[in-house]
Amino acid sequence: MTAIVTFGIYMVVVFVLAWLANRAGKSKVFVSEYFLGSKSIGLWAFAFTYAATTASGGSFMGFPSLIYTHGWVLAWWIGGYMIVPMIALGLLAKRLNQVGRISGAITIPELLKHRFKSRLVGQFATVLVVFFMFFFLMAQFKAGAQIMATLLEGVEPYERAVIGLEQLTGGIPWVGAADGDYLLCLLVFAISVIVYTTFGGFRAVVWTDVMQGIVMGLGVILMLILALSQVGGLKKATETLGEMTPPRFVPIELVGELPAETEVRLPRGSWIPMEGVDGIVRLKNAVTIAAGETASPVVDALQITTESEIRSLSARVDAALVYKAVPAGEVETYAYGDGEKGVYLRAPGPSQGSPAGFLGVMLALSFFAFWNFSGAGQPSYMVRQMAFRDTPTLRRSMVMVAIYFGVVYFSLIVIFTCARVLLPGMEIYPDRVMPEMASALTWNAGVPWLAGLLIAAPFAAVMSSVDSFLLLVSSGIVRDIYQESINPNASEKQVKRLSYSVTVIVGFLGAFAVLHPPQFLQHLIVFASAGLGACFLMPMVFALYWPRTSSIGMIAGMLAGGTTILVFYLVGYLRTGEFGEYLLLGLHPFIWSVLFSTTAILAFSLSGKPPEEDVRERFFGKP
Amino acid sequence: MRESNETEDLGTSFRQSRKEFKFMLATWVVFAAWTTGYNALFAHRGEGESVSMILGMPAWVAWGVAFPWGIAILVTIWFAMVYMQDTPLGAEEDSDTAAPQGEEGKP
Repeated sequence: MTAIVTFGIYMVVVFVLAWLANRAGKSKVFVSEYFLGSKSIGLWAFAFTYAATTASGGSFMGFPSLIYTHGWVLAWWIGGYMIVPMIALGLLAKRLNQVGRISGAITIPELLKHRFKSRLVGQFATVLVVFFMFFFLMAQFKAGAQIMATLLEGVEPYERAVIGLEQLTGGIPWVGAADGDYLLCLLVFAISVIVYTTFGGFRAVVWTDVMQGIVMGLGVILMLILALSQVGGLKKATETLGEMTPPRFVPIELVGELPAETEVRLPRGSWIPMEGVDGIVRLKNAVTIAAGETASPVVDALQITTESEIRSLSARVDAALVYKAVPAGEVETYAYGDGEKGVYLRAPGPSQGSPAGFLGVMLALSFFAFWNFSGAGQPSYMVRQMAFRDTPTLRRSMVMVAIYFGVVYFSLIVIFTCARVLLPGMEIYPDRVMPEMASALTWNAGVPWLAGLLIAAPFAAVMSSVDSFLLLVSSGIVRDIYQESINPNASEKQVKRLSYSVTVIVGFLGAFAVLHPPQFLQHLIVFASAGLGACFLMPMVFALYWPRTSSIGMIAGMLAGGTTILVFYLVGYLRTGEFGEYLLLGLHPFIWSVLFSTTAILAFSLSGKPPEEDVRERFFGKP
Repeated sequence: MRESNETEDLGTSFRQSRKEFKFMLATWVVFAAWTTGYNALFAHRGEGESVSMILGMPAWVAWGVAFPWGIAILVTIWFAMVYMQDTPLGAEEDSDTAAPQGEEGKP
């Protein structure tokens, strides 16, 4: 309960900042202020808004779950971040800001429209931003709701509210089929973010990003200290990890000696000893044994295979539990690494689905490129690069972000390496390992109130991303569609009203779409970032650095990049039946999209007329 | 000849940005080669072989990720503070969106 109070204080501060931002922006021109903070973002604000927006739900929810599942190989997987502050922040920032100022653009599509003197280029870019960004919104909403659900689990008023909401929405199609706890948390999370984003606009987003960036940094450092002290040091954690073998998945029945007197319900996550052998399983779903029955229906469970874990977990099982687990179907093993000690310490890392392991060399190289260049190609980061005040701000921010990322990402690797040792059996819901670890660490340390602050760290990461994406989608609709094509003479009052309405509507649509979320958060995030990077990276590089780029080359480049991602994901789906990419020659589709996009831009630009001289003079000329 | 004229037409600010762009790409190539090359050779060990450790992490992580990460931070700091030049970003074309001076944008 004390954790919830800490968390509540954090949320109050977020709303106060939004209110202050709203007041601060009152004297400014609405559109420029609401969507770009009047292009006056200083050092701390720029560095932290960039860092916080980059570190999304993927970094604080998806990435930890991958470290937990695959071990030390994730250090290689994320290694590209060592150079992200230079590449993603520096590659385009100076030119973007310059071209943005010359053209007076507020959004990326608007900047492209002016650069190429083509409304079609701007409209095309708007459609692509809105389409791919919506997937990002969905992923962040799911992450936010999951974190809240972990924080509130077991709190009585919350549990009552969940039951009430389930009764209220039970008959409503689509909504009623969602889990009550997830639905409630999604609703609360969505309303919170939508309210402060709508109310405060870009300036509120940036200000809260600064606070959230600090919360994230502090949270990670605190978790690092607690994790290392509780596990007995990194050396011990790595040695223990070296003895571990991947778990197995097995359908089981719970069997008792006598019929149950009343209905018995065992929640998800319960530990059950196995019948007849020295083993232990963890329930993937809740199970109920009806009164008068001696056995439960078949339920999926996770079987621990590491001997030392079996011993320590067996000691933790509730002594009053009269049921034992009996296998009731085929055991599913890891495709790579089953029964292999040391598999968590080396490449390619254990994998449930791939016989070649988690991370091949070509895929590792792909990710080294992906984090950097896809990062540079994200419109949400580009918008921030249009908003900094001057080049000293950019240079100093680069230094701050380099140190910040080094500390945060490397600490995350260490923390969740320790999590494998401290929290066994999290494979049943790996996306929840971050909040679960925060709760466990603070509980063990005797400071449960601190869990609120630690859980606020991933929550801050999610919020700071979702608010930026929300604003980007609404700016695309208001500025690039409504003001551009429908009502160019709209009054400030009309634009203001529409901006607020669109932000609210887009936010709720995103939440509605994710009522039944896809299983893997990280897949959705990688798809959306790959799609946006594919559409915008090479077109923007050419637009800013090659005067000869033509509007038709630009459209061809965006189309080729976006289509490549869609096709590779479609092929991936057709081959496996699951949402995921197809790795041609072991390379991520993003690499292929860069290749096809570059070819298309060059081919179409060189085969057409060169751009007009005044465009060249305006954007590339002296000084 | 035309190429030479094109280069002469280009602004100083643009040419400086392009120079920095090339440096950043070259830096990426160096670190990608280091990390991928080293780990491709040393991160894969056979089953049963012991994994040596440095500072509590597998040695391949220390030399193939942590150490280059530290160097990359230093290179980034040098690039930002020494190599990258301050250039004028230009005035707003649209006076409506002119950047105000002072401490706006800071919380």
